[in-house]
Formats: sequence, C-alpha cells, structure tokens
Amino acid sequence: MTRYVMVIDQRRCIGCHSCTVACRTWNKLPMDIVYNPVVSDGVQGTWPNVHRNWLPTLCMHCEKPACVPACPTGASQQDEDGTVWIDYTKCMACKVCVNACPYGMRDQSKVEPRLHRFVRKCTFCRERRKMDPEAVPYCVQTCHQKARIFGDLDDPNSEVSKLIGSVETVRLMEDLGTGPQIYYIPDLGGRR
Amino acid sequence: MRHHYWEWPIASYLFLGGLGGGIYFLAMIFSFNVLPSYQEVGWVFAWPGFIGLLCLGFGCFLLVFELGQPGVFYRCFIKSTSIICWGARLLSVCLIFGFFWFLSYLPLGGFAEFMAFFRPFNLILAGVSGLGIMLYTGLMFSTLKSHAFWATPALPVLFTVSALSTACAAVTLSIGWWPAESTVNNLVVATYISEVLHMIDIILVIAEIIILLLYVLSLVGAGNVTAKKVADRWVKGKTAPIFWGLMVGCGLVLPLIMYIVGAGTVAATFIAPWIVLLSGLLLRFLFVYSDDRRAIPGEEHYYNKLPKGDEAFMTRWEYGKNEF
Repeated sequence: MTRYVMVIDQRRCIGCHSCTVACRTWNKLPMDIVYNPVVSDGVQGTWPNVHRNWLPTLCMHCEKPACVPACPTGASQQDEDGTVWIDYTKCMACKVCVNACPYGMRDQSKVEPRLHRFVRKCTFCRERRKMDPEAVPYCVQTCHQKARIFGDLDDPNSEVSKLIGSVETVRLMEDLGTGPQIYYIPDLGGRR
Repeated sequence: MRHHYWEWPIASYLFLGGLGGGIYFLAMIFSFNVLPSYQEVGWVFAWPGFIGLLCLGFGCFLLVFELGQPGVFYRCFIKSTSIICWGARLLSVCLIFGFFWFLSYLPLGGFAEFMAFFRPFNLILAGVSGLGIMLYTGLMFSTLKSHAFWATPALPVLFTVSALSTACAAVTLSIGWWPAESTVNNLVVATYISEVLHMIDIILVIAEIIILLLYVLSLVGAGNVTAKKVADRWVKGKTAPIFWGLMVGCGLVLPLIMYIVGAGTVAATFIAPWIVLLSGLLLRFLFVYSDDRRAIPGEEHYYNKLPKGDEAFMTRWEYGKNEF
C-alpha cells in the first residue's frame, strides 16, 4: 500500500511564500483562495534573541477526514493512497465540508462567477501526479529550502519514513482524532 | 477565529424546516393521540398543514439558492453517511406526503375522496419525518466538531424544543381556517386545540429559556477556548444586547409573560405567537453567525495582516484573466 504524507521541516522554512505562489500559479486559483498559506505568530523573544517560527499549512489529508463523510453528494473522496480530493462533477458546493474541516483548509471563492463557485482544496497535486508518477506536489518542488518533503510513509526507504522515524514530529490538532498526514518538525529556536 | 461560509438562507432554512416539520408532527400527535376519535382535527389542521408545506418548500428553495452549484442539488440524496443527505430525504418525505395529506382536504371531488383513504398513512409519514427534520437541523450543526460552539449534544435538544415551540405558535395563529368549514364542531375542536397548544407552548418556552441559558452559560464556564470565546461574546460581548435584549428578553420572557398573564387576550393569542416565531428565527441566525473555529497557531495573525479595505481591488479581478 501507498500512503502519501508530507513532512514540513519548520527549521528550514524561511517564510518566503514560494510554495504559496507556486501553488496558486499551478492550480490557477482565484484571487481569494490560498491552498497553502504560510502562517506565523510573528517575532518572538526580545532583541537580540529574537526568533520567528513559520508554519506552512495545507490540507492535512487526514486518515479519517471529517469532510469526506460529511459530503452528501460523494464529491469529497479519499484515494487509497490517502489523498483527499473533490470530484467537481459531483460537488454542489453546499459548503458542509468547509464547515466540517477543523483546519479550515477548504474554501469557496467569493469573486468567481456564481456558477463556478466550487469548494476547493489542496489535492497534493493529484492531477500532476497522475500525469507523472514520479512528480511531487508543486509546493514541494518549489521549496528551495527543502522544508517540504513528500513521500510514501509505507515505504521504509522513503525520506519521509526515515525522517518521521528519526526526528520528533508533531501533527496539528491531533486530539480531534482525524489523523492528519502532515508531519511537522518543529523549530524549537535554532536553525539547522 | 471566524469561519463564515453559511449565510442568511441557511439560518432561514433551519427555522423554516423545523417549523414545517413541527406543524406536521403536531398534526400527527393531535390526530392519533390527543383527539383520535374526532374527524375535525384533520380539517382544522389542514390550513396549518398548508403553511407547513410553504415553510418546507421555501426552506428548500433557500437551501438550493445557497448552493454554489444549484443545478446538481439532486445529488444531495446520494451518500448516506452524510447527515445532510438524511435531512434532504426527510424533507422530501415530509413535503410529498404532507402535500398528499393536504390534497385530501381540498374540494377536489372524487380525487379528494380517494386521497382521504390514505390520510392516516400520509399523516404518519409526514409527522414522523417532521420530527426527524426538527431533530436533524440541530444534529447537523452538532456534528460539525470544527465549530466548538455548535458541537454539543445540547444543540439538537435546543433546536427541537424551539422548532416545536414555533410550530405551536404557527398552529395557534392559523388553525381552523379554510378548507375547514365554519361548523360548531370545527370551532370547538379548533378552540380546544388552541388552548392545549397554548399550555404546551408555555412549557416549551420555559424549557427553551432554561436550555438556552444552560447552553450558553455552561460554555462560558466550561467550554474550550473557542466555545468560551463565542459564549463570552453572547453573554458580555458585542452580541450581548441581541442575546439578552432581543432573544431572551423580548423573544422568550416577554411572550411567556403574555401567555401567562394575558390568557385569552390579543396579546396571548396573536402577539405572543408572532414573537415566538420571530425569536425562533433569531435563534437560528445567532447560531449560524457564531461560526468560530479553532485557529491553527499563527493563522489569526496571518489573516489579520492581510490588507483591509482592498475589497475593490479584490473584486476587480476577472474570472479567466489570470491564466497564463
């Protein structure tokens, strides 16, 4: 079995937002939609000991996603490899999945024409990976700091498996029981 | 942080769905349990039944209107794991069989007589699905655990009590009209049902006040950060005037006083039911617009840094013009 996950190394992220721009470009997103904002709590500490933590986000492609069972039309689906995606031919844009997602990673544009307002989300660049099985999501390819690492967690030789096995990782809002598949290597103050 | 995607049509739909379902539930209870040997019950409930159909129909219209893709609304019946799917099925059953039940009271000659044969069957299906709709509206919100203020087991109870209370008020206002004839029997039965509903609504309004206050105040005291933030806003923040003044004071306590003190007067028979209906609508609006979700660390900071007042710039973007 294949289980795609992403490891995000916060120690490497410099907050350049390249991943955000690359994603928007590749997916031709409308003005008001961002699949993967890079958020931050701002500068922490007192000068000269200051430090800023960047948290690149995206759909968590949860093991037990709240959005998929909530969808009444069957448009929200999960592939066997764990990718959560939306079949636009089935979506009626009722926005129940948007409200079900605890991470706020689904969105609907307010600037697109009325009948183009599907619910949108990150799909780990599913179409791109279908065209080329070796391809990685565009945000991963673009990240010049190699802060985003994508791969198969079920493959013991993959980089993500090795990282998750060797470094302490955290996942967002694990208490909700959705099993998010984005693993963060936290930046505890130092740089690699 | 706010996570606002559902607008006024959803709030109105929640109110209208619960109201319509509640009317059919009451019609079923009064026909089969309270006055089972009186044919007049069905006749005096026919017009409230029509009001119920209008509410359900208009509620469905608003629901479809709110969709981003209204042309494929029929897909909402497909997936049984979704609570919305069950809501759509219940709405359809209630609408269809409620309509058949109402048809049997219209002056349609032989067709109405034929439909009269199926009255009990139609009313049971419409009444049971009506109960389901009342439960479902709150249940749907309570399953959305990303919204801590909604995701409590008390919400379906509150919405059900409120739906039943508004249904009592609507029936009180409309019972005994056309197609019921102005006979003594119909008048007596309609008056009796109004009196019973008057008493029931007093109990329901008291229950609603208790549940609502317990709901909000318990979240102030024991809710998680997100739920507490919303509850604080209701109790002592910017929503407090609407919550205490309009919802609790004018919407629930005032009609309760009118019901108790002014029994038999216009205040109790006409004004109080209208206030109960409006407070039911307000309750749904308050909840739909309390859509805060737990923020990812740094998310609020990120979105608060986005430029304000650039709406004109944002909306000047034209669809299809950003392709490369």
